[in-house]
Amino acid sequence: MSPETLVAAVFTLAIFSFLYRENPIYRAAEHILVGISVGYYLVILVEETILSKVVNPLFYDGRMLSLIPAILGIMMFSRLSRKSGWLARIPLAVLIGAGAGVSIPAMLQARILKQMSASMLPLNSIGAVVMLVGVISSLAYFYFSREKSGLFGGVARVGTYFLMVFFGATFGYTVMSRVTLLIGRMEFLMSDFLGLVK
Amino acid sequence: MDLSRLDRRIIFLLMGLAIAIPMLFNVTLPVNVEKDTLAVYDKIEMIEESEYVMVSFDFEASSFPEMRPLAVAILNHLFERNIKVIGLALFSEGTALGFTTISDIAEKHGKKYGIDYIYLGFRPQYISAILGMGESIARVFPEDYLKKQWQEYPLFSGLENYDNAGLVISVSDGSLPIHWAEYANARYGVEIGVACAAVMVTAFKPYFNSGQLIGPVAGVKGAAEYEKLLGRQGAAQRRLFTQSSAHILIIVLVLGANLAAYMRRKR
Amino acid sequence: MKTRLPIAVCFVFGLFTLFQYFTADPTLESIYKEILDWMQIIFVFTLLVGVVSLAKIHSEKLIKKRTDWPYSILTILGIVVMAFLGFAYGTDWGTPFLWIFMNIQVPMQSTMFALLAFYVASAAYRGFRFRNREASVLLITALIVMMGRIPLGHMISDIIPGTAEWIIDHPSVAAKRGILIGIGLGSITTALRVILGIERSYLGGKGA
Repeated sequence: MSPETLVAAVFTLAIFSFLYRENPIYRAAEHILVGISVGYYLVILVEETILSKVVNPLFYDGRMLSLIPAILGIMMFSRLSRKSGWLARIPLAVLIGAGAGVSIPAMLQARILKQMSASMLPLNSIGAVVMLVGVISSLAYFYFSREKSGLFGGVARVGTYFLMVFFGATFGYTVMSRVTLLIGRMEFLMSDFLGLVK
Repeated sequence: MDLSRLDRRIIFLLMGLAIAIPMLFNVTLPVNVEKDTLAVYDKIEMIEESEYVMVSFDFEASSFPEMRPLAVAILNHLFERNIKVIGLALFSEGTALGFTTISDIAEKHGKKYGIDYIYLGFRPQYISAILGMGESIARVFPEDYLKKQWQEYPLFSGLENYDNAGLVISVSDGSLPIHWAEYANARYGVEIGVACAAVMVTAFKPYFNSGQLIGPVAGVKGAAEYEKLLGRQGAAQRRLFTQSSAHILIIVLVLGANLAAYMRRKR
Repeated sequence: MKTRLPIAVCFVFGLFTLFQYFTADPTLESIYKEILDWMQIIFVFTLLVGVVSLAKIHSEKLIKKRTDWPYSILTILGIVVMAFLGFAYGTDWGTPFLWIFMNIQVPMQSTMFALLAFYVASAAYRGFRFRNREASVLLITALIVMMGRIPLGHMISDIIPGTAEWIIDHPSVAAKRGILIGIGLGSITTALRVILGIERSYLGGKGA
């Protein structure tokens, strides 16, 4: 057995031990995982972005404009101090403001107009009717500015059934995903580690 | 014994057995290829050899067992067709996973880095990264994952933005394909194919239905369908028997618990 | 200053990126590209703040010997080892950094999520009951989808996968579309409120 397999199996079993009950081995593995993940994150962030987007342009290409986002970025660290924490609001405002600006046309075009036009099909099939009724009734369900009574209440109630269908379908797919992950880990244990499966 | 209230550890044990036992038998179930999987396959078939396809590894390590067969199937198809592949990641953990997967599959096809494929690496803040690549890929990724000026590779020097990409494929376990649809497809018109975790299908479906996304090749079943289309026996097809067994266990448990609860109420 | 400056910055950047969408002016386009770059750089620093903050929490726990402090040694060790290996030997094929990632982090993280298969089974067994009409619709849909997405569904009858597909393509899409359009409208309103300085919760604390 290769050292890779042994190491991976030990840590896999440590996590699986949680199924019996929480225990020190699981907790130790969990803390190691947090540490390694954060270390990985740190390296990827620095190697992949800080070096190529800040250090190289500033120190090798002499692109002084990169100094502005670098300073704004460093200002984020003021969040760690109580006194100068407000400084972090400025880079945050850049991120949130620019993000809000680009999101408005994107939402309008891709999320609202396209989705609405795709819902308004010629009503020549059951599917098209179901689609239109479903979109309108589930939108009615999420309209909280009016009391859900009378015809409006009835439409909103139809919406709940559509939402239940959506949640049910999502649950079915969630089962599929989670089971696949478990199969992946069990395959590793039974094949690579124990050699029971060829 | 009240069958509607079994100890959770018994359920766990049953679940473990429902997966472990079928695994001991080498059973391959027939797979029916469905329209969603076919949509991605057909799209890749239509791409010409001279075109680039961008593959974005938008997933975390937590879902690697589900995502790897999907990524492998898509990459096998691209490399078989001699399409030039540009790998990248918009999730940090996808960076190393994408790099190992693309390098591994490329090697199996005898493909060379810088000639047949490149790997750009990771960019955070996916909205600005997606929008930025629509303007200039080189500006978002001045260097590749290996810290090389990737534009110096002659075959990739013409790659400027999405205009040069025949397709972007997001291999994803989260909501990234929606952002690809909303920021890359809506603004720059590039087509987006999706290979995703099964859990995301219902969330993405409206975008496939409206033509904003292509696919999806979803979960283990989608990967198995793709393997069948490629004529390759892969990890996903082998897993379907085990997957079926676990689904049936859950269905039996739910129906059994309901029946037991009904009987108890009747008594 | 502490409130007005960020609101002004937010307004300028928000209005600019919104306005730029409707123009093809090359100068504005180059400023837009610059801003997209800035967003990535600033965002990396926000993530780094998170990394430093987590390291700080565990260091304090260790120094002050708070409950379960020995576990914090493992976390700090994890951070230090990965950072050292990554910066010293790189992240390419065959590096110790990638070895630890592939053989410790990936197996553990995917096992964490694999645990959910057990809990999903247990939760379905305990929670899914034909209690009322809504719950029954949810349960029946889930069962059809679960059955329709495995080859066995096809083997029993093509009606099962066919029904599953129809459900996913029509009523499920309709409901999700309702949610999406609702969220879309809400997001546009929130984005406008943010740009105009009415929504200030991102400022946090006093003055927000």
